[in-house]
Amino acid sequence: MAQEEPTLPDDEDDKRLMALIAEGDDDALRLLVHRHHARLVGYLRGEVGSQATAEELAMEVFIRLHRAAARWRPEAKLSTYLIHIAHNLVLNEWRRRGRKPTTALEFAAEPGDTSQQSARRVAELDEAFQRAIAQLPPEQRTAILLIVQQELPYEDIAVIMGVPVSSVKTWIHRARARLRDLLKDFHGNP
Amino acid sequence: MNHPERPSFDQELAASLSRGRAVAVPGFADRVVEAVRGERRRRVVVRWSSIATAAAACCVAILSLAFPTEASLNRQTLALVARDESSQFADLLGAADDLSLLSPAVDKPSVVDVLNATGS
Repeated sequence: MAQEEPTLPDDEDDKRLMALIAEGDDDALRLLVHRHHARLVGYLRGEVGSQATAEELAMEVFIRLHRAAARWRPEAKLSTYLIHIAHNLVLNEWRRRGRKPTTALEFAAEPGDTSQQSARRVAELDEAFQRAIAQLPPEQRTAILLIVQQELPYEDIAVIMGVPVSSVKTWIHRARARLRDLLKDFHGNP
Repeated sequence: MNHPERPSFDQELAASLSRGRAVAVPGFADRVVEAVRGERRRRVVVRWSSIATAAAACCVAILSLAFPTEASLNRQTLALVARDESSQFADLLGAADDLSLLSPAVDKPSVVDVLNATGS
């Protein structure tokens, strides 16, 4: 399939690609993965703290998407559906690891991570935030990543996490407060 | 020490997290497609394996019915023999019955008459 820019909006084009994937079109799958993988890996990396694990999980997300392509109904945006699958995989990963999602040490900068971030403070700040986020309870971490990092609305986060919107708001509020507390030494009190 | 131009906590949080929002991985789409193709091949192998297993089971069943084992042959032979004996016996009894029915009704000589005749 040619790499030309589709004239359809992404959501509509995603539906078209999913229909093609259901028919076994690998080029459509390649295009869909190319479109969505970066945000998915970014979200998963925020969740699990490891680039390698994030890529493995993202791979599994797309394999599951491919399996479900024939049954998929476009009730929600595909990007939301992908993060929903990813969130379930993250939950499994936490259970497999014995609840605690990761250690803060896993957030140590990986080669190439900060290649575009020349400012030392930016790198330090990012690492400090990542360490702090790793210390959040899982629900709070997921909620804060989805609202701040992925810029999803509360309603979508509630669908992804399978909880009421009020729970999402509570978790985000608590996550902000907890992060503020964890980073008070680094950021300084206002 | 004041930081008048320093961004707020929420701004720094948003800026930090947004830097990790999208992590493009070169060649990732090709890896996914390759993995999907591998899974598709595995599914084909599994499907044909199960079909082959079912077909083999059917063949074994057909062969078992068409070519019975030695033990079952022996059992069948004995059963046939037993059935034949019983039928022969039944035939004999039936024939005897038929003969008794067909034989003329005559008075059989008594034992005393027989002894007297031989004695004389």
